[in-house]
Amino acid sequence: MATEVLWWIFAVAIVGVSAGVVFSRSVIHSAIFLILSMVGVGAMYLLLMVEFLAIVQLLIYGGAVTVLILLALMLTRMGAGGAAQKVDGPQMPFALLAGGGILAILVGVAVSTSWPGDVDDQPTGISIELISEKLFQDFGAPFVIASALLLVALVGAIILARQEDAD
Amino acid sequence: MSEVLNPFGSEIFGIWNWLDAIIRVVIMVTVMTVVVMYLIYGERKIVARFQQRLGPTRTGPAGLLQSFADALKLVGKEDLRPKRADRWVFEFAPFATFVPVFITLSILPFAQDWGVRNLPLGLFFMISALGLEIVGVMMAGLGSGNKFALLGAVRAAAQMISYEIPLVLSLLAVVMIAGTLDLNQMALQQDRYPYVILQPLAFLIFFTAMLSELHRAPFDIPVAESEIVGGYFVEYSGIRWSMFMLSEYAAMWGFSIFGAVVFLGGWQFPMGEDWGWGWQLALTMGKSLAFIFVMLWVRATVPRLRIDQLMSFCWKVLLPMSLVQILANGFILVYGGPYWLLTLTSSLGAAVLVAIIMRQAFRRSSTKTLVGAYRTQLQVPAP
Repeated sequence: MATEVLWWIFAVAIVGVSAGVVFSRSVIHSAIFLILSMVGVGAMYLLLMVEFLAIVQLLIYGGAVTVLILLALMLTRMGAGGAAQKVDGPQMPFALLAGGGILAILVGVAVSTSWPGDVDDQPTGISIELISEKLFQDFGAPFVIASALLLVALVGAIILARQEDAD
Repeated sequence: MSEVLNPFGSEIFGIWNWLDAIIRVVIMVTVMTVVVMYLIYGERKIVARFQQRLGPTRTGPAGLLQSFADALKLVGKEDLRPKRADRWVFEFAPFATFVPVFITLSILPFAQDWGVRNLPLGLFFMISALGLEIVGVMMAGLGSGNKFALLGAVRAAAQMISYEIPLVLSLLAVVMIAGTLDLNQMALQQDRYPYVILQPLAFLIFFTAMLSELHRAPFDIPVAESEIVGGYFVEYSGIRWSMFMLSEYAAMWGFSIFGAVVFLGGWQFPMGEDWGWGWQLALTMGKSLAFIFVMLWVRATVPRLRIDQLMSFCWKVLLPMSLVQILANGFILVYGGPYWLLTLTSSLGAAVLVAIIMRQAFRRSSTKTLVGAYRTQLQVPAP
């Protein structure tokens, strides 16, 4: 019962701060809302008794959001205070298409998948050993491919951000 | 909720879990505040001795009450907020810096089963919570509306994120040997020899990365007074500034105890648990104070690095060395090699690291490096 109440509190809070990420007018506020949202998801993992994933959530996204702020500062032209900037330009319909498409795909996949171990009132405690076995033995190749993809994305972002200096 | 949190704590006082937690947190806060005050006093005294000065002598016997006087003065100061500052970001930044430091202190074992709470994933939790400290620093720098604060925050972000990687990898090398992430268990395993003997290279990397994460000299680029007038907290005054100081020194203390537990055996080495918790507490505190003394020693001796030296040292020296350490550990542990082999390989690595540092330190300055070329060939446009 208590878990359920907490679940609802966190669910509403996560949706609220996520809306804050999208609608706030400055990059800094968005980033802070994003961190709060990540902390909320971490709390959700705690409710599911997967402490390891909860800590990973904080470890990865605490640093990631900081990098995100830095890249946002590098990629956008704005003042030190993170002044509001009007969103327009010819890429607007494409941005809408990309965002809407990703949303449709994610929702479609999440709804159509039958999740294993989907039991009511039964939090599944997952140990680190199980996670590492899955990650490094059963799904070793996807893990390596995903890390290569992330590396490419990182290098690409740096190249894009550095090009502005050359103008 | 209590059944979810119960595995985290072992009840000592024999009372309700939440009341027990509150009592321990209150004790922790009190001890932390006093320790921080005397760390500031100790830093001023020790650095003064290094520089052939006396340090604080007037307030109380031998200046012992100096920090209390300073704290009173800070509380009485006006809490200023610049007009260009982003109000909420600016005002919450000190708390966002302090909270991660505080929650790391609440999982450290000061003696056997003595701490606020003991987590099975304690080491991992420690790393992730300390990683969140950067968020507060960024908030302070970006919310102040001041270009020096912004510069300090961006430098801090670059430095802390870079040095987090060797820090975590060096700890991973120890975790490979210990086979647990529980800090209490880890200290328990070091009754015969501490892990610093098995892993001197990992210890050196950890100590260097720790100095960088704490913004201590020679890695104090984000808070350099002489370059950017103090860095990200330049606009703060009074109680908020003192919160930054509190979290900085509390982080120093927490990191020292963490390092003492992981590498020096914490409360266990060298006497074991036979002498009771008072001795264990003294042992942990003594080791952490030794850590802090070395930090102050380094601060008083080594000049500040340049940002490019800092970055290339992290990515070209520390990161490969820590990966080599993990690889060597992996081979030795998988093939069941003896422990002296771990000591041997790690000592060789440590010798190489020290040799690299010495070579760089005694090298003659030249204009052949990146920054030298930049200085001589490119024209810096006038502002």
